[in-house]
Amino acid sequence: MRTKHMSEHSDNSKLILNVDDVSKVFCRNLKRAMRYGLYDLGKEIVGRGEDRAEGQLRQGEFYSIRNASFKIEPGECVALIGPNGAGKSTMLKMINGLIKPDRGEIRIKGKIGALIELGTGFNPILSGRENVYINAAVLGMSKREVDEVYDEIVDFAELHDVMEAPVKTYSSGMRIRLGFSVAANLRPQLLLIDEVLAVGDVGFRMKCFKHLRTLVRNGVSIILVTHAIGMLQRVATRSVVFNRGRIVHDGELDAGCAVYEEILGASERIRTERLQQKTREAEIAEVTVVNQNNEPQSEFQTNDSLKIRILLKSKKKIENARVIVALNSPSIGTVSSVSTAYQEVRFDVDPATHPDGRMLTLSFKELPLLLGAYHFNISLFGPETTEFFHRRSGCGNFRIIGPPIDVYGMGIHGILKVDHDWKLD
Amino acid sequence: MKSTLNSSTFNVTETPPESSSLENEVLPTLEIQTSDQLTIYNSQSEIKNPIEMFKNIATDFWSGRELGWRLFLRNLRGLYRQTFLGLFWAFLPPIANTAVWVFLRHQGVFELGGDMEISLTVYILTGMILWQTFIDAFQMPLKVINQNRGMIAKLRFPRESLLLVGLGEVLFDFAIRSLLLIPAFLWYGVTPDFALFWALPIALLMILYAAGLGMLIMPIGSLYQDVNRFIGIAMPFWMLTTPIIYVITGDMLEKDPNTSLLVWLNPAAPLLVWARDLTLFGESPFVLPGMILAVLAIPIFLLGLAVFRISIPVIVERMNAY
Repeated sequence: MRTKHMSEHSDNSKLILNVDDVSKVFCRNLKRAMRYGLYDLGKEIVGRGEDRAEGQLRQGEFYSIRNASFKIEPGECVALIGPNGAGKSTMLKMINGLIKPDRGEIRIKGKIGALIELGTGFNPILSGRENVYINAAVLGMSKREVDEVYDEIVDFAELHDVMEAPVKTYSSGMRIRLGFSVAANLRPQLLLIDEVLAVGDVGFRMKCFKHLRTLVRNGVSIILVTHAIGMLQRVATRSVVFNRGRIVHDGELDAGCAVYEEILGASERIRTERLQQKTREAEIAEVTVVNQNNEPQSEFQTNDSLKIRILLKSKKKIENARVIVALNSPSIGTVSSVSTAYQEVRFDVDPATHPDGRMLTLSFKELPLLLGAYHFNISLFGPETTEFFHRRSGCGNFRIIGPPIDVYGMGIHGILKVDHDWKLD
Repeated sequence: MKSTLNSSTFNVTETPPESSSLENEVLPTLEIQTSDQLTIYNSQSEIKNPIEMFKNIATDFWSGRELGWRLFLRNLRGLYRQTFLGLFWAFLPPIANTAVWVFLRHQGVFELGGDMEISLTVYILTGMILWQTFIDAFQMPLKVINQNRGMIAKLRFPRESLLLVGLGEVLFDFAIRSLLLIPAFLWYGVTPDFALFWALPIALLMILYAAGLGMLIMPIGSLYQDVNRFIGIAMPFWMLTTPIIYVITGDMLEKDPNTSLLVWLNPAAPLLVWARDLTLFGESPFVLPGMILAVLAIPIFLLGLAVFRISIPVIVERMNAY
């Protein structure tokens, strides 16, 4: 597997895919979208389709993809990640030739295949065997090709006994297994995969990943789109992160996942900030992550100690204030939540005694977090749970940048490094 | 725009040298399908280079033939496997329609057009079979797009294969229904004219022509449902303005300019009536309009193909935004 980055290469002749300054515009208003569609169609038919001028949008339109460029070499497995609506699937559709770019150019050298919507074309009334041939034909395989690999398909799907039964008698898992097994015989030079990895039971999923690794090892380039970023490390080596139609990262998978998690954290922060009233009596004014020497720092190693310094301000005196701090990972949610009340720390926030606000320090000793991006959600309460003053989400962002983890199972991975011992009897 | 250079298949047995537990995994060697084909997608309209476009259309028809056949079999098997009467349903619409009109005419509900020498039942049945075929072919492009929305929106495959499926179904139904004429001719003692053999190519041209018209309205029809609704409402009127349940003689065409206008304005009439008249009488007053449309049929079909092809990406965009 090659993990070198495209930017280091200037030779484009070996590239399997070159996406060059591509933009795509969509319209969310249904009626308008149809009207624009009719207009665009007219333009296409008279042959006037031209690159759309940069930044020029009709009413109600927005950029689903804007000025995106990236390249893929043979045998690279690249994950497109990003929040919902960031443009990943749109990009995949353009690469697959389903829709046209409004600007820029996509060049693909070699045979392309797609693993999107498993089991497309299945007719539930027909038998599994008949549907294998239909599905394979939809994916571009001839009958002769399927005849050769039919037994392999059935073996892979583990559905020997039910191939003659109508597909409508299958469970959803069985259908997906059959769909993947047919598609597994696609061996193009560039394979596109959209959100189909989170399927089936664990055993079958592992088999799918192994199959994808086999393809990559044999020189197939893969582009995959998924939200299940925890699984990506099983196959991908590089990530391209999309946010609001733009590429914000292109490089190391781990770094890309961290960027993605930061985007998620930031959007959560914006969301909760909006919910807050503008005139609050008390607030969490500042949150700073610092190291042992009280210097601000945002990158740590597993088992480093860190502190967060929380500045509380209030217009009136709050007696017996309470603070709750939740340590969050955007991909899994709350890792741990602690409160001042739990350790019976009692304090007041009083503008009279602390005119510049009250500073609170929370120390975490030897935090056993593994590689990834993390943040805090902090809430300020009075003595009663009904007395809520302020909540800050997605603050105090920090990253654990090392040591590396091994997702394949021959090492450790996950969120936490748990103390453990092996013993042989 | 696509351009194909050449393709080949060879075995890739390269093993990368890096090491980590992932890299040490023992994985089988697979044969990868490779080609030197260069595919370019940009905002340019394919129609700018018509020769290239029609070459691509022809290539896609060829590469989509197997998929078309598979989907045709799938639809056919699926269609009749869950019915009790099976293939009988293919025969039913023209029989039912003919029965209704024969009944109405016998009851004297309507008196339209001139007289004829042969059985009214055979006359209406023949016209009805052709009319049904015309309408099926006309609605086919929009139907195949709507039926396969999921596939079109998500997967890349030669879209022309859908037209093959659609045309296959139209032809299959046409052939099945035409079988009805054999017992009808025998029963009513009608001897078909030798010109019957000319009726077949005319009917095939009619199918291409109707499918071409259908492809021309397909883009608008798939963006706006109004088109489908309008066709649904307009269909009975359309049928009534086509001389299927009544006769228009050459005399009537000459004497009544309104009748003549009606025939010339009705895109369904000329080829249909010409084919029907040749089957039953061996001659037709509709030769001239029929000839004109017969000449136009193939260009209209080709134009339809071009519109069908270039409109699909625009339609897919609207199927599900992102």
